[in-house]
Amino acid sequence: MTARSLRDRILDPSETALAWALLAPALLFIAIIVAYPVATLLINSFFDIRLSRGLPTSFIGFDNYAAALHDSMFWRAVKNTLIITFVTVPGALVVGLGLAMLANMPFRFRGPIRLALLLPWALPLAFVGLIFAWFFHSEYGIINDIIRRFGGAPQIWFNSPGLTMMAICIATIWKTSSFMALILLAGLQTIPASLYEAAEVDGASKWTQFVEITLPLLVPSMLVALIFRTLTAIQSFDIPFSMPGPGEETQTLAMYIQLNTVDYLDLGYGSTLAVFMFLLSMATTWVYLRYVRGDKD
Amino acid sequence: MSAELNNFFTAKRLRWFAAAIVLVNGFFPAVWILFTSLKNEVELTAKPITYWPQNPVLSNYVAAFRDQPLPGYLLNSVIVATLSMLLALFISTLAAYAIARLNLKRRNLILTAIIAVSMFPLVTLMVPLFEIMRGLNLLNTYTALVLPYTVLNLPICTLVLVSFFQDIPRDIENAAMIDGCTRLGALWHVVMPLAAPGVFTAGILAFVNAWDEFLLSISMNAAVAYRTLPVGIQMYQGEFSFPWPTISAALVIALIPVVTVILIFQERVVSGLTSGGLKG
Repeated sequence: MTARSLRDRILDPSETALAWALLAPALLFIAIIVAYPVATLLINSFFDIRLSRGLPTSFIGFDNYAAALHDSMFWRAVKNTLIITFVTVPGALVVGLGLAMLANMPFRFRGPIRLALLLPWALPLAFVGLIFAWFFHSEYGIINDIIRRFGGAPQIWFNSPGLTMMAICIATIWKTSSFMALILLAGLQTIPASLYEAAEVDGASKWTQFVEITLPLLVPSMLVALIFRTLTAIQSFDIPFSMPGPGEETQTLAMYIQLNTVDYLDLGYGSTLAVFMFLLSMATTWVYLRYVRGDKD
Repeated sequence: MSAELNNFFTAKRLRWFAAAIVLVNGFFPAVWILFTSLKNEVELTAKPITYWPQNPVLSNYVAAFRDQPLPGYLLNSVIVATLSMLLALFISTLAAYAIARLNLKRRNLILTAIIAVSMFPLVTLMVPLFEIMRGLNLLNTYTALVLPYTVLNLPICTLVLVSFFQDIPRDIENAAMIDGCTRLGALWHVVMPLAAPGVFTAGILAFVNAWDEFLLSISMNAAVAYRTLPVGIQMYQGEFSFPWPTISAALVIALIPVVTVILIFQERVVSGLTSGGLKG
């Protein structure tokens, strides 16, 4: 080997240096769009920053946090968010598992089935909210029409907080179960058919096969899908925003944060609320990761 | 469970029944919106409601274009989704190649750190980003959405591309480098063409993610000239009126691009979505 010229060294630098150079844009973007904003968020949560008043910002310590703990609208938003999370995450898992089992049957034409699972995934959440708001329309909605046809009493869905939450949860489960189904379907297809054949020989029923073979082998793909589903459920914004109930009764935490930040321009309080959202997400991730690790030991 | 029920489970008609459930569940809302968009005012307020449109009309589509600048919203969505997709692909290709191929300590830690970005709540990020963009006078610009969307798409793009790069035999690029290619030359001329399906898959996922995003869009770009579709569609409603047929017509038009994308690329989309779930 002859000594490398300067040009060669620039064009073919050592691998590690090149690796960091290639990683630099990604890390730089993450630093500017995630790390730096989060640092300012934490700092802002300790300040009084109400841009609409035009006053200089002032350090107020934990006052924003104390205000949040005494804010009934904050607690209502947390309650609504938790209801949506605890209803729609298991709901999407059960419906998604059902859809995956149905879609895993040996069909001759797989294309339309796959498309039927992809369409809800590809629809923007905001569209889904509008579409389901129309389904639940008190006069001309198809839900009330079906209720009438079966002789039931039609409901004015968006006049009652409880019924509105129900409609929001149904829309959310419809939208998110198909993604769950796609993940679980891929998991189902990795289970070797020989396992079922062996169980069949042993005389196990379909139900026993489902409980003893299908469910345990699906757990890894379920967990990954569940973590992301829970994290997005905590951030519910688009669907509740598009399906408003009476007053602000069905406001979620994400909607309350957005209202304080963008509409009221109260950046200090908005930041504090966002910190609570962050803590909620971290706690969720921690619980899941703990469960995953505990499972492996 | 009885043998009778087991027989029933293997029956062919049950397969048709299963297919019907999955198909109706997936397609019904879109089909219903299409029906609604074709009904005139009289038919829409008929009781009991009609299912199949009796006298299909296109007047709602005319109204959808008249009441709101729908082509402008479409264009904004296309611009924002395309730019953030291209930027995310470029950045994540470089990062994924470094992680998959180059001599790098703690490569798994770096990949985990990039993926961890997707665990971060977007609402939390929106608050400081809103302040920063406001301070820089960037509210109501494409930049205010393209930069955040790029970062939001880095995790999934990097994940998909790393797994594609790892599947390409090293011998191929070694041969190229022996023939005088530099590392980056080998990446561009040899690895990229082989990884094209992966780049494609990552690109579609990034595009759909950006196309669907609502929270940042309504917070940063509320001005009419910069609204994307999910925000623009919400603007048909007045304070006391919900012009449902017009909204339905606008929704049908807004759905066409995404439906076309998944119709053409459905296999890629499914493989991209599940590779993250199973390998991650």
